[in-house]
Amino acid sequence: MLRFIIRRVVIIIPMLVIVISLTWVLVRLAPGNFYTGEKKLAAGIEANLREKYGLNKPWYVQYGKVLMNAARLDFGNSLKYEGQSVSQILWRGLPVSAAVGVSAYLIALIVGISTGALSALKQNSWIDYSSMTLAMLGISIPNFVLGPLLVLVFSLTLFWFPPALWDGFPSRSLVLPALTLSAIYISYIARLTRSGMLEIMRSDYIRTARAKGLSEGQVVMRHALRGSLLPVVSFSGPELAFLITGTVVVEKVFALPGLGNYFINACFNRDEPLIIGIVAFMSITVLAFNLLVDIAYGFIDPRIRYS
Amino acid sequence: MSHSGSRFAIVLTVLGCLITAGCIASARDKSFFGTTAPPRENVLRYVSGSEPETLDPQVTNLQNEARISIALFEGLAEYDPKTSEPVPALAERWVVNKDWSEVVFYLRHDGRFSNGDPITARDFAYSIRRGLAPEVGSRSASLAYPIKYAQAFNEGGVFVFDSNSKSFLLEKDFAEVPEPPKTEAPSSSPASLKPVELAPNTVPETEFHRFMQSPARLVLPGKEKARNAALDANPKLKAAVSGKELLPVLAEAVGVEAVDDYTLRISLMQPAPYILSLIPHQFFRAVHQPTIEKFGGRWTDADKIVTSGPFKLESWNHYDRIVVTREPHYWDAANVHLDKIIFYLLDSNTTMLSLYKSGGLDATYNHTVPSAWLDGIGPMKDFMDASEAAIDYYNFNTTKGPTKDVRVRKALNMSLDKQALADWRHVRPLMSFIPDGIFPGYPQRKGDPFDPEKAKSLLAEAGYHDASGKFDPQKFEASEIELIVNPDANNIAYAEFIQAQWKQNLGTTIPLRIMEGKTFFKAQAQLEYKGVSRTGWSADYLDPFTFLGIFYASANASGWWDAKYVELLDRANRTTDHQKRFELLAQAEQILLDAQPVIPMTVGTTRWMKKPYVKGLFPNPVTLHSWKAVYIERDPSKWDYGMPDMSK
Repeated sequence: MLRFIIRRVVIIIPMLVIVISLTWVLVRLAPGNFYTGEKKLAAGIEANLREKYGLNKPWYVQYGKVLMNAARLDFGNSLKYEGQSVSQILWRGLPVSAAVGVSAYLIALIVGISTGALSALKQNSWIDYSSMTLAMLGISIPNFVLGPLLVLVFSLTLFWFPPALWDGFPSRSLVLPALTLSAIYISYIARLTRSGMLEIMRSDYIRTARAKGLSEGQVVMRHALRGSLLPVVSFSGPELAFLITGTVVVEKVFALPGLGNYFINACFNRDEPLIIGIVAFMSITVLAFNLLVDIAYGFIDPRIRYS
Repeated sequence: MSHSGSRFAIVLTVLGCLITAGCIASARDKSFFGTTAPPRENVLRYVSGSEPETLDPQVTNLQNEARISIALFEGLAEYDPKTSEPVPALAERWVVNKDWSEVVFYLRHDGRFSNGDPITARDFAYSIRRGLAPEVGSRSASLAYPIKYAQAFNEGGVFVFDSNSKSFLLEKDFAEVPEPPKTEAPSSSPASLKPVELAPNTVPETEFHRFMQSPARLVLPGKEKARNAALDANPKLKAAVSGKELLPVLAEAVGVEAVDDYTLRISLMQPAPYILSLIPHQFFRAVHQPTIEKFGGRWTDADKIVTSGPFKLESWNHYDRIVVTREPHYWDAANVHLDKIIFYLLDSNTTMLSLYKSGGLDATYNHTVPSAWLDGIGPMKDFMDASEAAIDYYNFNTTKGPTKDVRVRKALNMSLDKQALADWRHVRPLMSFIPDGIFPGYPQRKGDPFDPEKAKSLLAEAGYHDASGKFDPQKFEASEIELIVNPDANNIAYAEFIQAQWKQNLGTTIPLRIMEGKTFFKAQAQLEYKGVSRTGWSADYLDPFTFLGIFYASANASGWWDAKYVELLDRANRTTDHQKRFELLAQAEQILLDAQPVIPMTVGTTRWMKKPYVKGLFPNPVTLHSWKAVYIERDPSKWDYGMPDMSK
């Protein structure tokens, strides 16, 4: 188990180097610069900016600096936002993204698992059909459509929740973004739980449990549900990493100051240190959650052993 | 199944009732877009656009930053709330000398920074020199280039000093083109820009002033490579420079002089009557030297910043909002009405209109109402609109391909029905290059009218004809031309319309290419496109030169350059008489229209929203507002039911 974890942690380092290098190359290949805009800058001003931000140094010096910075986990200053460091921006955006992401995740887990389990237990009933229809809708309606629809109903018609902006955590401004974000996950989780549950209910150990004389409730809660959550865990574990590190569309629709919003703007701004910083942070988070999921498997399903 | 179906129907019905009920509940005064209840506090909730790069007024060059700079910093002059022309602010008045070589600003004696320090002429001299310092990396430093030696300092140039004769080499001795004729005879009528007066020089003579008045020194590039290239190109210069001392142009050489605490004299490199319209720009606003020197790049942090405007910084939640509150040290604090302004940092039109409708915003900035919504919102009483000092036009690449031929350029221009385009987009057509109705007194020119038949005959003349000599669309190398735009919904709609017009009127399909923003700007700037590219230009300052100056340098997006055009512009800018100057500018414009390096397309309109209880915000041409004039009116009888009166 320990060896398994160490091996997985060590492999993160070369993966990060590859991710950062690829990102750097892509940013460099993209035409334009952080100062390119509709109004062309005077040649002298452009020269001053290149000098100020070290863009006139040879490429290997600049690339070396990026890797050195990454090794120290300090990505330097943003090019676009004068005097702000990348880590400052990361720590500013993360809590907002995490608040929305975790809320959406909890909603998705609670609603998704219970609907899924209920559908499986009442297979082919109206509960099953309607919830699976809704789940299908949830998967097929993109969140840039769902978000504005919720705004139309709950903000502009009923005036219950603000249509945009962030008033901190917890506040009413959290509700619509979290709901929008959770819809697709509710749907996936409900479907995964349902199919997992249906399969498990037919398996031998459930029959054994029933034969032992356990009540139906105990069979479902202690044995069936736990087993049927395996696909849910392998799906939702890495997804949590993406949810926490920001979701571009929802943050844009609701104008939230989260990491996703920073990221998309950093790309448009060609803000190299910020792009690399956010990409590195997201990679680390995703790799870490994958590892956690693998470990969690062992606890959920006693049949899995690490070698 | 039928059983479960009916239950589902019930759920749907309930949901439907809920939505309908909501709609009825919100059916209030339909002549306004959304709620009209004023905020309880004395606060304005405004949206300022995307996250500012910094609060440092001298580094930035965009409007989203200008809106906040106007609250936090004050300059010598401020934008007039209605006309956007420069009106006195920290300078009580200003005087221009006869040949437009210098401007003297007389400052108020009671100007104060937010820490209580007085604001003097020295602060302005510092602010301008600092903004030009290469290491600051200001994006708008070029606005100050008309000031003597400003460009040389900003570009890190050097003077050439001859230690034998103890003198500097002069520019005029090495000029490659003979000096154009000197100043026009000053006419008897005074310049019409109001606070300007031509007055005798009453400011004391100083050594610095003698330096400024002496013939311009020769400036060479500071970087060795660039300097050698310049020297190699001019053997006479190379011989003269060899063995001489090269002295870097320092901040002290820049033509801004604090004659005394409250007199600032600005010397210009060349006559630039438009500089007064530039003075309210954030670049020229006062910043506090000790704070900047103490904290360096972090001086704009909320706990460190010292400001000079009617409001001070309370907080900056990045990507969310900037809150400013009333500044007690401000000299005119008694006439500042708002306690607080909240600037929401967002740039999505639909998001801000939702916020506005639900009562979370009191006003929006320009171009926030999308064209597609105008049919619904346009007639409402809180919709604000005005002609804007901003134009949409298309560049021809005049350096290669079919568009090298002026007849092809003229034909492509004449075959567009701009009136139809303008009607469809709810804007006004631009028939010349200078928009009408923005610069009072400017003799308006007329470009070629819409005339598809003439266009066809021009193309036939250019060689695209069949055996009988008539225009043949088959012969026209449409694939050698492309129409490139950046991926903005409005720009794409324009481009599609133009493409359709050419198809309809000339029978030729010119391919449309949508390019990612930065890729597009690079292709355009370096003339790496075939045919036609889109540009929008909003005025940096309220003077026709802001538009005509685009083609002053050959490095423009069309590659077109004409010596006669440039000479006319130079002559115009040396002319003190307002009307005569305009006439010369109009002559230059005619040269531009004749050569047709561009297709003038439409004049922008400002299109924004303002709740009826917000007073002091006017639909002015640049949509930058002097915040101190703004207040919340609680008495509905004094509200604005429609656009506010601009005449009073």
